[in-house]
Amino acid sequence: MNRILSHIRNSLAIKVIFSTVLLSLVVTGITGSVLNTQLSAGVKDVNLSSALVEARSTIFTAEYRFLLAQGEKDSVVQKVVDDVISSATTLTSNENTREVVFLRSPGNTRENNYEIASNLLDPTSIPSTLSERVRKSPDLVYQYTNMNYLSGIRVKGLAIGQKVQIPNAGQYEMYMIFSLANQEKTLDLISRSLFLGGFILLLLVALITWLVVRQVVSPVREAAMIATEFTAGDFQKRLKVESQDEISTLGLAFNEMAESIEKQIARLENLSRVQQRFVSDVSHELRTPLTTLRMASEVIYSTKDTFEPIVARSAELLVAQLDRFEKLLEDLLEVSRFDAEVAVLEAVDFDMVQLVQRCADDLGLVAKERKTQIYVNSTEPVIMIKADIRRVERILRNLMANAIDHSEEMQIDVRIVASEHDVAVGVRDYGIGLDENALNRVFDRFWRADPSRARTRGGTGLGLSIALEDARLHNGELEAWGRPAQGAHFVVTLPRNTWESIDQRLIPLQPEDYKA
Amino acid sequence: MTLVMVVDDDQDLAEMLGIVLTGAGIDVDLVSRGDEVMDVFRNNPPDLVLLDVMLPGLDGIEVCRLIRAESMVPIVMLSAKGDTQDVVKGLEAGADDYMVKPFRHPSELIARIRTRLRRTNADVSGLLTIGDLAIDVQAHQVTRAGKQIALTRLEFDLLVALAKEPGRVFTRDALLSEVWGYRHSTDTRLVNVHVQRLRSKIEHDAEHPEIVVTVRGVGYKAGVMGGS
Repeated sequence: MNRILSHIRNSLAIKVIFSTVLLSLVVTGITGSVLNTQLSAGVKDVNLSSALVEARSTIFTAEYRFLLAQGEKDSVVQKVVDDVISSATTLTSNENTREVVFLRSPGNTRENNYEIASNLLDPTSIPSTLSERVRKSPDLVYQYTNMNYLSGIRVKGLAIGQKVQIPNAGQYEMYMIFSLANQEKTLDLISRSLFLGGFILLLLVALITWLVVRQVVSPVREAAMIATEFTAGDFQKRLKVESQDEISTLGLAFNEMAESIEKQIARLENLSRVQQRFVSDVSHELRTPLTTLRMASEVIYSTKDTFEPIVARSAELLVAQLDRFEKLLEDLLEVSRFDAEVAVLEAVDFDMVQLVQRCADDLGLVAKERKTQIYVNSTEPVIMIKADIRRVERILRNLMANAIDHSEEMQIDVRIVASEHDVAVGVRDYGIGLDENALNRVFDRFWRADPSRARTRGGTGLGLSIALEDARLHNGELEAWGRPAQGAHFVVTLPRNTWESIDQRLIPLQPEDYKA
Repeated sequence: MTLVMVVDDDQDLAEMLGIVLTGAGIDVDLVSRGDEVMDVFRNNPPDLVLLDVMLPGLDGIEVCRLIRAESMVPIVMLSAKGDTQDVVKGLEAGADDYMVKPFRHPSELIARIRTRLRRTNADVSGLLTIGDLAIDVQAHQVTRAGKQIALTRLEFDLLVALAKEPGRVFTRDALLSEVWGYRHSTDTRLVNVHVQRLRSKIEHDAEHPEIVVTVRGVGYKAGVMGGS
């Protein structure tokens, strides 16, 4: 039921047809019943007046004959009564049956009794209310009643009566009862025809509505379909405009909008291409001199032992700053690739545990310099994952380097947890930690927790923001937790299969060792 | 003495490369335009070509193809772009190795050059067979039914590395260190592209390789064909 209702709500065509049919039903209902009433009233009127005319003439004839039989013998009077009845009930073709009833008026105590009803009609078919009115009235009186035969048959009828004087027998009431069976049939036919007509009319209205609605709805449906395809990325899609009605106005408006969107997109695409081109050019133009610089500085550095101490130190600084400059250039190019949305994933299968271990080993020397140590702990010995190994390695290195920078000579714990679907790596340090404000900004570009702190050698301020972008490129997530002086916890969660998204967080962001 | 041809349009960088290589005891031939490479190459065949990607006249990828058409000399591409497409294009054009500018250390460049120049597999002697291929390690020749198959030095090294231990599965990392001399690198594109190139030369049907077989999720191994 609910499904049907929602279907009605969702389809414009069904909604329109439904309400049109409902309204038509009310209109045809009213019209039909008015027609029915009028027609049946007309039919009844006609029947009534013809019955009255006939009854009047029959009763007049009877009175006349009774008058002629005045003073005759009882047997003659009896014959006259029989004659009156038989001539009155003789049918001419296509007419309703009619019956005649003679009732003795109350108070008539004469000996001779001519009370009779024709064709075994039960005299009680004459309602007593009619009898009373007949007795009081000098003229014809009628009433609708039922004709009850002694055989049990019951027919609707019209009873018309008047007082008559029968010779030697006093006052009687003479009734003619006309069967209304034919009239009932006619009325029945009229109402059935009206009902059938109304029903057919309703069907036709529904059909017409459907045709009309289809004319309106199908272009709307088509427009909706085209709009859906347009949204899905097919910007060439246009509506066909063939007529000059409101639907075509809609089509024209839609097409104009599509045109404008397509242009806008082309412009943006062009911008992105220009940006990409720029990045590539900058990359090339900067890298070549940087390569020369690097090599020159290395040549100088390799012979620094023969220099004066000041020159030797300068050579060291030169090499170190070139390193930093190169790293910064690399990071800037990566960031601009993310901004231009041209960063691509190159997924390969590899062992996450091995990669984490290798990163930890590579950073071991730096960690030692900072008097800390990285401990790697994995739930499983081998965790295969399909991802861009270069980017994952960069995430891990950035997180570990960050932890080393803020470790305050405390150890660093790296945890690897895998499920069927995801793998998570948590990097926990117990150093200076992060406050609320720092947590909100830790992934911002060039943001530093404490500007007064010495910058770490090699850090560009872009590491964590690139790590976040790298994680998101994998449909993964990188999150940070921290408390001042309680250390920090960075958790990266990646799907084990590229292009899938992560199911759950395998490592709770708030470290289990932390008690609030 | 070893001769390396340096093709780069940046005069300063070319000069610097010259200084570094000469310092390492390597002779250098400098060329600054792509369309001049082939003349110099034919007149004075080098032992190795150091080739920049962006060159005036003719771009490095095209030059690489031209050299490959007539020589199996080792080619190391110098690229200012780390983007995969360019790297893969260079490798597919026939380069053995590539270095992205700026290099970490000049010594790294020299190490790469030496790896490419070194006679690898000196420890393996005699004849290896794999599938229906016969490999003469000393003579640097691969034959199938007496017919010689021309392989670059790197492709040869790759094939020998696999054929030495038939059936052993080599990870891409292992091949990188074995054949390219990388201590550790995550760049497996080198391996993938060269395996494809090697297959196109030695397999009956490169789509269904039988000699260099992929082990899904791990790496490659030399397939042992039925009966051989």
